[in-house]
Amino acid sequence: MDSCSRRLMKELQQLSTEPPTGIICSRDIASDDLKQWRVEVVGAPGTLYEGERFTLQFRFSPQYPFSSPEVMFVGQNIPAHPHVYSNGHICLSILADDWTPALSVQSVCLSIISMLSSAKEKKHPIDDAIYVRTCNKNPNKTRWWFHDDTV
Amino acid sequence: MGPNTQMPQSSSSSNAQGGDGNGDERKDDNSRFECNICLDTARDAVVSLCGHLFCWPCLVQWLDTRPNRQLCPVCKSAIDKDKVIPIYGRGGDNKDPREKIPPRPQGQRSEASSGGFPGFQWGDGNGNVQFSLGIGIFPFTMFSSLFTFGGERQGPDGQPQVDPNSAQPGSRQHQEEQFLSNTFMAIGFLFLFWLLTL
Ligand SMILES: [Zn+2]
Ligand SMILES: [Zn+2]
Repeated sequence: MDSCSRRLMKELQQLSTEPPTGIICSRDIASDDLKQWRVEVVGAPGTLYEGERFTLQFRFSPQYPFSSPEVMFVGQNIPAHPHVYSNGHICLSILADDWTPALSVQSVCLSIISMLSSAKEKKHPIDDAIYVRTCNKNPNKTRWWFHDDTV
Repeated sequence: MGPNTQMPQSSSSSNAQGGDGNGDERKDDNSRFECNICLDTARDAVVSLCGHLFCWPCLVQWLDTRPNRQLCPVCKSAIDKDKVIPIYGRGGDNKDPREKIPPRPQGQRSEASSGGFPGFQWGDGNGNVQFSLGIGIFPFTMFSSLFTFGGERQGPDGQPQVDPNSAQPGSRQHQEEQFLSNTFMAIGFLFLFWLLTL
């Protein structure tokens, strides 16, 4: 088994045996080859998204964990958030330039929950319309500009 | 941003739960020596100066991925391939890890300090002018003085030199400095000429 699959196997095992609060692991969380996952996250209590459930899709290249996974929201419920486009793409630095191989599916999910928690209003980014029309299907192809890291 | 730096630690949470004895403890012990990249028990283990443990091959692969940003994957402190410490436990594989490519850096043994290399002394007396010229070619000066160290200690007039590193007029070192500064001056003039003809 290659190192990428070994690591994904370990992550899957850990996440499904002790999932942290806010992360739901269904039984069919990962595809057979482990290269695509779907993880459900729940909005934290006391935030704008309290109790709402969102689905995150992870795609892993063979270079994982040295290159970041491709992560986006999928399904009917895409959170309206200043860093989430209506097509599910997420503008989050750890998914691009700030990725390190010490991060994991679990830490990415927790970061996204925390990102949702700090929103002050439910609104997509201002450039949503134009971005969604022009962007690549793969969010990792976008050169993100992290102008506001506090939201 | 907060979430970027949060690293959920499963080991600490399993500690808090207590569990019932050996199973949990054993798992906890093992994960303490897991590589922060592949999550396996570290092989050819190295530890960074910030204290984070990696397999040597894993760390090298990460540093090769981002040649411009050499950061520790865990704490993002600056990290250097040459400044990690290899960890030699008992047992393990008998192969020499240095045979692998790229070789793991060796542990550093520092000897008790002795006199060592004499430091540079800035011009005293007659060396003054020479040195103000020499500053521009500092590395060359040092280099050449390394080679002439044992040989030409005495000036042409037979005076013993007080400082072996300061260039006395007429010595080989002096000639080299002269030559270099002449060369630089020539380059400077050429550049000036080129600017004027534009
Ligand atoms: Zn490793
Ligand atoms: Zn570190």
